Amino acid sequence: MRGDAAQLPVLTHFLRDFWSSADLAPAECTSFELALEEVFTNIVKHGTRPGSVSQVEVSLALAADGLTMTVEDDGPQFDPLSLPTPDVTATLEERPLGGLGVFLVRQMMDAVKYQRIGTRNRLSITKHVTR
Amino acid sequence: MNVRIETIGQTTLVIPEGRLDFGSAGMFEKQLEQASPRKATAPAAVIIDCAGLEYVSSAGLRTFLLAARSAQRTGYQFAICGLQPPVRDVFELSGFSRIITIYADRAAALTHAPTGQP
Repeated sequence: MRGDAAQLPVLTHFLRDFWSSADLAPAECTSFELALEEVFTNIVKHGTRPGSVSQVEVSLALAADGLTMTVEDDGPQFDPLSLPTPDVTATLEERPLGGLGVFLVRQMMDAVKYQRIGTRNRLSITKHVTR
Repeated sequence: MNVRIETIGQTTLVIPEGRLDFGSAGMFEKQLEQASPRKATAPAAVIIDCAGLEYVSSAGLRTFLLAARSAQRTGYQFAICGLQPPVRDVFELSGFSRIITIYADRAAALTHAPTGQP
């Protein structure tokens, strides 16, 4: 689908539909919804060349080690894991306004892996889920 | 997301319900700004009651940070309350629970705010 912020609700619905058809514990869906939002909005912000919109593909796969969400896009090379880790002990005045999204994803998930494959970015996010 | 605003004495209660995400954060930021005191000539407070908030992402966290800074700059109290487990997790992981005053529920938050009631 197009890397357009307006598409986020469509992706969230896709995730929730998968969640209920796989009969997963509802409370655990939130961390994947958050990961999907943070990763997708990052692609919208960083992964678009002037005059063109990236194509984004999201897939979900359930295995013994948990649920893996893979997000691929055809935008410029961008490794979200290279972003600096925010200082969560900084004061109110010192805290920057951004930079928390990827940090939250890394904190909430068991594993996050980035690969550049040809002209595509691929981010795989895995977390154990209760069935 | 729906937002209700109530006033109790010098305290403004902001009550968001639903999801505070990339799509709704901009609107919430504007509503918060409009509901907040421009200048604090007397003790005043803004409390965000999050009991009905199901979800918050980094885009949502940003609005809380902006609101807390604005309160500090202008000189009124700012607190949030009623955080549900998924929202509380995000506040704790991000370290925002150290820089923003959090009360368990609305009643606790109001006892610390200028409501004009004993």
